[in-house]
Amino acid sequence: MSEKAKNAESPFISILDPRKSSDQEIQRPIFYQDLNIDQIIDRICLIWGENVSSFYYYFPAGEACGDYRREVLADVKRHGVYEALWDFTEKMKARREVFVKKEEVPHRLQKAVWHIRETDDYCRAFMELYEALRAVPFQSEGMRAFARYLGQYLGREEFCAMQREAAGLLKEMDAFRLVLTYENDRFFVAEGEARGEYDAFLEKCFPGQDKRMESPFETVPELVELERELLKVFQKKSPDFFDRAEDFYEKYEIYAEDILLRFASEIRYYLSFYCFERKMTELGFRFCVPDMLRRQTPGEGDGPESRQPGGRQDGESAGPGKRMYARGLYDLALACANSGRAEDIVSNDMEYREEECFFVLTGPNQGGKTTFARSLGQMVYLAKMGLDVPAECAALYYFPDLLTHFSVEESVETGRGKLMDELVRLVPVMSASGRGNFVVINELFTTAANYDACIMGKRVLEHLLGQDCMGIYVTHLAELGEERPGVASLRAMLDGQGERSFKIERSRAADHASAESQACRFGLTYAQLKERLK
Amino acid sequence: MNVYLLYPQREWKNEGRYRDDRTIIQDLGLKTLFSAAAKKIEMEDGKIKQIQEADPFLEDAMKKVMMIPLRTEEEIRYRQEIIRDCQEEEGFICGLYELSEQILKEWNKLGRKVSGRTGAGSVRSLVTDVHVLQLFVDSLKQLKEWFSRYQGKLHSRGFLALEERLREEFSDEKQENLERILRDVAFFANEREHEEYENRRMVNKPRIVMGCRIGDGLKPGGFQLESVSTQVKKYRASGSTLGRARDYFSTLTTPSFSIRKDEALAEQADQLEYQFVRYIISCCEPFFDSLNLFFDQLHFQAAFYQGTVNLGAYMSRFHIQACFPEVCGNKSLHFTGLKEFVMAIGQRLNPVGNTCGIDNKNLLIITGANQGGKSTFLRSIGIAQIMMQCGLSVAAESYESGIFPSFFTHFTRREDSEMNSGRLNEELKRMSQIIDQLEGDSLILLNESFASTTEKEGSVIAYDIIKALTEAGVKILTVTHLLSFAQRVYEETRLDPDSQVEFLSAQRMEDGRRTYRMIPHAPELTSFGLDLYDEIIPR
Repeated sequence: MSEKAKNAESPFISILDPRKSSDQEIQRPIFYQDLNIDQIIDRICLIWGENVSSFYYYFPAGEACGDYRREVLADVKRHGVYEALWDFTEKMKARREVFVKKEEVPHRLQKAVWHIRETDDYCRAFMELYEALRAVPFQSEGMRAFARYLGQYLGREEFCAMQREAAGLLKEMDAFRLVLTYENDRFFVAEGEARGEYDAFLEKCFPGQDKRMESPFETVPELVELERELLKVFQKKSPDFFDRAEDFYEKYEIYAEDILLRFASEIRYYLSFYCFERKMTELGFRFCVPDMLRRQTPGEGDGPESRQPGGRQDGESAGPGKRMYARGLYDLALACANSGRAEDIVSNDMEYREEECFFVLTGPNQGGKTTFARSLGQMVYLAKMGLDVPAECAALYYFPDLLTHFSVEESVETGRGKLMDELVRLVPVMSASGRGNFVVINELFTTAANYDACIMGKRVLEHLLGQDCMGIYVTHLAELGEERPGVASLRAMLDGQGERSFKIERSRAADHASAESQACRFGLTYAQLKERLK
Repeated sequence: MNVYLLYPQREWKNEGRYRDDRTIIQDLGLKTLFSAAAKKIEMEDGKIKQIQEADPFLEDAMKKVMMIPLRTEEEIRYRQEIIRDCQEEEGFICGLYELSEQILKEWNKLGRKVSGRTGAGSVRSLVTDVHVLQLFVDSLKQLKEWFSRYQGKLHSRGFLALEERLREEFSDEKQENLERILRDVAFFANEREHEEYENRRMVNKPRIVMGCRIGDGLKPGGFQLESVSTQVKKYRASGSTLGRARDYFSTLTTPSFSIRKDEALAEQADQLEYQFVRYIISCCEPFFDSLNLFFDQLHFQAAFYQGTVNLGAYMSRFHIQACFPEVCGNKSLHFTGLKEFVMAIGQRLNPVGNTCGIDNKNLLIITGANQGGKSTFLRSIGIAQIMMQCGLSVAAESYESGIFPSFFTHFTRREDSEMNSGRLNEELKRMSQIIDQLEGDSLILLNESFASTTEKEGSVIAYDIIKALTEAGVKILTVTHLLSFAQRVYEETRLDPDSQVEFLSAQRMEDGRRTYRMIPHAPELTSFGLDLYDEIIPR
């Protein structure tokens, strides 16, 4: 706790990263595409209603960042916090719309009046957010630092003066009322309040509609001639109002604090994810906060000892028996695509037992192998991003990086053969500088001769094991699943009637699996025929 | 607003048809009946003056309504009451139908929009909306007046409730308010530019008073409507001396500006006028919505009742006695003087009536002589059943039967009665489809089914199917030549006092004369084809 108190003194920079701001170049590693994380992000943006993808493409390398975010997310989920933040972003969105309108109009005075509204929106959004959050006992470093920073900012005299002035001007303008009479091609204009008698008559005829007449010139940003004529009356009444408005505009042209604006933008990362998570939960999908474990890997080049990944029995930080596992893990992208009920999506349990670093997964085509591999990769990605993972419960290690290699349709553009193409794409995986990464490989060397493919596959596996990597290797080659230290063999299973169950279980690889699945696809297994003829 | 003339508590919807309505229409020859209903017969001094051409809308309405069975006795009574009113006050239903037709015609002329709703649109479509509003108000007034003319002469719940709804939902107060709105916005929709009044050109001019405030970006907003009215003014050219003088004097009193000199201002004033009217009309949307389907429903439902009146005219033309059927248990069937109505219309004659009284039976097997009127008998029951199940009166002195919303016919048609395995397949397939579709109270009419194979085979098939169906509670009326089937059932039930099977046969006098009546009779091994042979082939 004392450590936390020390952290609390650190200045607030960004809600996404404790050390630096996130405005930096974004690269998109290939795994976004391979693991269908693109689709998850699209879904999140769709549900949120705004393109927030750039936050999801910022993939932080360090451990600290993931923890920082996980704590913030826990605070966002607190009762009332999400709602308050959501309200806040709505207000900031409204402010943004005002800004756009301000930019549209050429008239200096009109700009000034829009600017007053924009400033007022900004002030009120942060003041109301502060009010809503002041009683919340935040636990995360990020939210505590932000709340402290915001409190100090709102207490400053410059801010208070600006806020008072903006509110005063708006009030003055809002209070003014006109009555106009249009008769015989002539408008008569006078100051005064109308009672809306005809509105009341219409309301009496057709009650409960809550309609109001809109100005026909609302869609025109500029002032039209008719409106200018009406304003003359206002000008006569308060001759100096326009001067004061312009003064305000000049004085407070730059009114916003960058750090706060960045917060307003970045907080949408958490809100959009939580919003998405709630929607998916309604459909029956489960999420959990993963337990983060520390791997006992000796430093690089420490010799044969480094071949003892994951589960050393001493396990000081992870505790004995605490290894990477997940219960009820499912492919979140598939869930997004189906967007149906959770019952339609198969989930799996998985665990890397002691000494195991790699799964080799075999089984029938269309049996859920790729889906399973993807769900593992997605879990690693989401955990690194500090987000919840799609499972009932899960624990996993920190991995410095996430690497993937998926077979693709022969690419016409490169003109290379498929094998050549695959090998070229494999280079980044094989030459990754860091050790202990998480690697997902899906069907390597499908076009090579069986014999060659086995040898190459084994080499890749050996290399990755040597690099202390963990991961999963999906293949149709049963030979790769042969017993070997550090490797667990899994199979996509068929159910009792020969139907694909999409369940993944520990099992020796088998050669006839694909023939079995062929029969079942055509509904020709014994059990199926019995059923059909009943 | 709801019409509710076809059902006590709901509007017409084309849902819940007989599952195999096309086959029913074909097997029972109902097309003849639909088109007869669509022809209005004009009478004069008890004689036919003129038979009008078939009204295609009415024909379609008749077909649609008849092909959806009512499901309760209460629903049947509800329609019967209304039909009684229509028969007694033919003028009322004729007028109602014509009025609803007229309204829709006018509405179409105004370019009825598919959505029928007011929405964002052009000045022209807004003018149309105002005209449609006028049409609705006028039409409802006419409807109310029409009901007033028949005050005290209508007794059915359906008509009385509709009148009450009209008076409630389109109350005098509502009518006045709407008429006021129409007067107020008249400047927008009614051109008066060319009207002359005592040699002066007159124009409709609005007078609008409203409040507003200064909104965001200095744009005036938050409009409040104080008053709107239309004034008839003498037309004055904008450049005229008097007009200029007026303009000048009014500037002296209140701050004001004229729109006559400035084109932009004039255009913006027009936009403002448009916006006013659009707002006012949009407030009337609930009124539009409540009537959006009302006139269509009224037209359709009135068409059905007009059809029943037309059918009634056919019956009296051929001196066929008609009655409103009674509902009884599903295992009973009683009627006296039942006639095959479709044949009567087609052949313009008054056919022989049949009488029958059956209780506690759910299988009726009709055998007997060829040309003995068996099929006619079966059809007459089918037709009466369909007419009863849509509330109509039937061609009988009395008719009493259960309600069978799940009603099917399986007739072997003459052209496909040849022995042919393809035919049998077809028949069995149709039977299997019927079985898939059975639900609730079911009645199947079988006419010479499974005759497209050998008598022996057909009998076995018929026996299995009919036994299974009757055991499942389905009522079956079958005309059959499958004598081994009939014999087998007869042997089984002869000694059983609780048997639910009844055998009928075409009556045949001692001298071989046919009476075209059905009487209870054990099945015989001959279908008296020889008689027919003797009759036709000269000895």
